[in-house]
Amino acid sequence: MMAAGLIGFSSLVFVSCGGGGDGAGVTPTPPPPPSNVVSVVVDAGPNNRSVNTLFTTVTVCVPGSTTSCQTIDHVQVDTGSYGLRLLAPALTLSLPGTMASDGNSLVECTQFVDGYSWGPIALADIQVGEETAASVPIQVIGSSSFTTVPANCSATGIAEDTVAAFGANGILGIGVFEQDCGPGCAPPNMANTYYYSCSASACVNIAVPLNNQVLNPVRLFAADNDGSIIDLPSVAAPGTTTLTGSLIFGIDTQTNNASGSETILGVDLSYGDFTTVFNAQTLTRSFLDSGTNGIFFDDANLTQCPPPANPNDPSFVGFYCPAGPQSLTATLMGTNNTTISETFTVDNAQTLATGNPTFSVLPTLAGTWSTVGSVATTDTFDWGLPFYYGRRVFTAIENQRTAVGTGPYVAF
Amino acid sequence: MRLGIDFKGGCCVGALLVALVPRLASAALGEPESSIAGDVQHLQGSIKSTVRTNYRVHEIQLPSGTVLREFAAVDGKVFAVAWSGPAMPDLRQALGRYFDVYVTAAQAKHGGHRHLQIEQSEFVMQSSGHMRAFSGRAYLPQALPPGTSTDEIR
Repeated sequence: MMAAGLIGFSSLVFVSCGGGGDGAGVTPTPPPPPSNVVSVVVDAGPNNRSVNTLFTTVTVCVPGSTTSCQTIDHVQVDTGSYGLRLLAPALTLSLPGTMASDGNSLVECTQFVDGYSWGPIALADIQVGEETAASVPIQVIGSSSFTTVPANCSATGIAEDTVAAFGANGILGIGVFEQDCGPGCAPPNMANTYYYSCSASACVNIAVPLNNQVLNPVRLFAADNDGSIIDLPSVAAPGTTTLTGSLIFGIDTQTNNASGSETILGVDLSYGDFTTVFNAQTLTRSFLDSGTNGIFFDDANLTQCPPPANPNDPSFVGFYCPAGPQSLTATLMGTNNTTISETFTVDNAQTLATGNPTFSVLPTLAGTWSTVGSVATTDTFDWGLPFYYGRRVFTAIENQRTAVGTGPYVAF
Repeated sequence: MRLGIDFKGGCCVGALLVALVPRLASAALGEPESSIAGDVQHLQGSIKSTVRTNYRVHEIQLPSGTVLREFAAVDGKVFAVAWSGPAMPDLRQALGRYFDVYVTAAQAKHGGHRHLQIEQSEFVMQSSGHMRAFSGRAYLPQALPPGTSTDEIR
């Protein structure tokens, strides 16, 4: 799919240049196709049942090698995390592991709201489209070399270390931060629950210098390294089978990634979040997230999906199931005090899924943390992948200056 | 480890006693309030306690930067916990005997990495966020003090 995307783009350039070229004695030279574009797709993914999940293809090589490489498709594009993580079963290439400051192996417990992914840190040269980054610390999840999970890692919940659990062969975290943990895990902050030094007999938490943490590969690209743009076509409800778009690296580094009239929302330096005002609630922990498969928020007036009648039927608990499409409006407010109103539609998740079993793209899918008995108070509004449909969404990395501002910010 | 206590309202004696209990049970939700001292010690955190109308809140500042709040009713039973910060708390510690309930339920309805809700008659849990930004809560609906809204658990 990467090749198809690039071919599509270069033929577009060729056509646009062909019209006025002949007879003037000057042979028009089509500009080289932008090397900062990679194709992305929303499809059913490796487990054949993903919905609203954005994938791309990533090539990893043993550092310094041009032959010991592996190209891995269906790596999820995630603006809600930072760094590349590959699932061990999908990675046949052997990559060199890294060491903690005490000389033992460096291993990470990546945390999620419902569990963890355990695996060592390795170094890889990364290629996404034509962008390359050398010797990047990545995580290999579910490695057979490190099977004993420390108690304070498994204390997060369930293990998420299989392709099936992820619905992807890996995750490409390209959000607003440079490192996956940041200063909180770096010296002199000795205590953290992300990183471990593992000897043959035991693992202990250890601080890790910023540059040895799992790093957002975009920052390490030789060029186009200040952020990225996810550019997806719009999708009419109820949806479609698959959707193809572009991931464009860099902001204001080439003609195809110039800032324009987008609304810029600054995000906070601790969490990467902004504020959403919805139903008179001020939700200060809100975020745009290509790694969430719906719009997630709490609204006591919206009907939630009931538990399945038969326990073996698919469950839609956690999603909304209104009788018909509902139009809702929220206001997004950045840390720069810029506000923008957003109107979105929520439809019945169960009807959407069961009525369109071949659709991987469902723009009106929405869910909740609320339970029937209680509206949650999470301070969170999660603008998942449906928000990205029909838009160019900019993600500017922390400390990076673009033509219109300094990251971290998001813009659309 | 630093044990800092803010004395507020009528909570002083209770909070002081809690802080002085050396190391009792190692679980919180559903356990007596005295177990919180064990939490603080196990989690290497510092604690600040405040009193509200029908319960006390013990706020544990964890080394990771995350804040864990434990809500104890007048009878001393911890009926809720809530967390917010850059890392998930030790849920085995915070949820105590309900950790296994959580894990079983999370496995059964796994649907994404950014949102979790569990609703049982005895146990409710909601968890949200993304890398470097987590928040959530768990509570025992049948143990909520009279007049307490779940909105207050945050």
